[in-house]
Amino acid sequence: MLQAKGKFPPWIKKRLPASPVADLTRRILEQYDLNTVCRSAHCPNIGECFARGTATFMIMGNVCTRSCRFCAVKTGKPSPPEDSEPERISLAAKEMGLRHVVVTSVTRDDLEDGGAAHFAAVIRALRKHNPQASVEVLVPDFKGSEDSVRIVVDAQPDVFNHNVETVLSLYTTVRPEAGYRTSLGVLALAKKLRTDMLTKSGLMLGLGERHEEVEAVLYDLRRADCDIVTIGQYLRPSPEHLPVVEFVEPAEFERYLGLCKQMGFRAVASGPFVRSSYNAIEVKDEAQRP
Amino acid sequence: MYEIKLPDLGEDAGDEAIVSFWHFDEGDEINEGDDLVEMTTDKATFNVPSPRSGVLSEIVADEGETVKVGEVLALLEQE
Repeated sequence: MLQAKGKFPPWIKKRLPASPVADLTRRILEQYDLNTVCRSAHCPNIGECFARGTATFMIMGNVCTRSCRFCAVKTGKPSPPEDSEPERISLAAKEMGLRHVVVTSVTRDDLEDGGAAHFAAVIRALRKHNPQASVEVLVPDFKGSEDSVRIVVDAQPDVFNHNVETVLSLYTTVRPEAGYRTSLGVLALAKKLRTDMLTKSGLMLGLGERHEEVEAVLYDLRRADCDIVTIGQYLRPSPEHLPVVEFVEPAEFERYLGLCKQMGFRAVASGPFVRSSYNAIEVKDEAQRP
Repeated sequence: MYEIKLPDLGEDAGDEAIVSFWHFDEGDEINEGDDLVEMTTDKATFNVPSPRSGVLSEIVADEGETVKVGEVLALLEQE
């Protein structure tokens, strides 16, 4: 059910561009039978990103083994990963002319390696058909498995992204099947395995966290040697999901942006509509500037 | 007469939005790209721009109404 009008503050407003490029993006995704987190997570930026010809591929199906309370992706028993998917993604990325390809997945606790080998296969396939494009992976926590993190890192993505999503005290309500320390450990390990690879993480605001708690997360990310951070407003995908406790004002996002820069993050994206892979190429470029 | 329809919101299921308010009245002249109507979904407020220029001859979906993707929002008379 939709709620009544006037429920969003004025800064939670987007435009729905009716662009022919967006139709082309949809057609290519359909042609190669690919999932995107853009659709599955009901992303409010979808019109804008599709109109610019970008999308974030979501691999290993659109059914997740976890049931995080903020996320619109369906929970259930997923099918085995498809061997043809890496090639299909690579060809779609080529047809879309992507210069920076972002790949994420559902969480696959049912697979021995959590899907790490499939991520690696996608990275390799992307390199084959898109040698000029950079590759960013947004991975699940692999239950903290060192082997799985190593498999992904060894495939040499340009950016290794794993989201902490929220502050420590909210994990039991927001990500009950995940662990804050586990997520930090995944980021720290990835960096340790390959120091010249950019690492990235993100969190949502508006779930009831306190300023000090957000700052504590940012300090923990820096201690894990994380290079890039994204901060955005949590928006409830349906009434069955966690309610928005607070719409954080744009000025507050600006304040966090300044703080993150002071703390030494190489790139920061902070704003109400910022999502983990929103403007990913610009954020990566910023991180690579000397 | 050109039918202005609710564009794809990109959601898997329950593709619908509520009309918050119209930026124009019936009889107003509209330019392509003008913000025509403000809609609300579960996640955000969206402005829908007009895909064509013309005169807004009829508002089909009134304020407060729920509209599904592909349904007609308004009719535009083109010059």
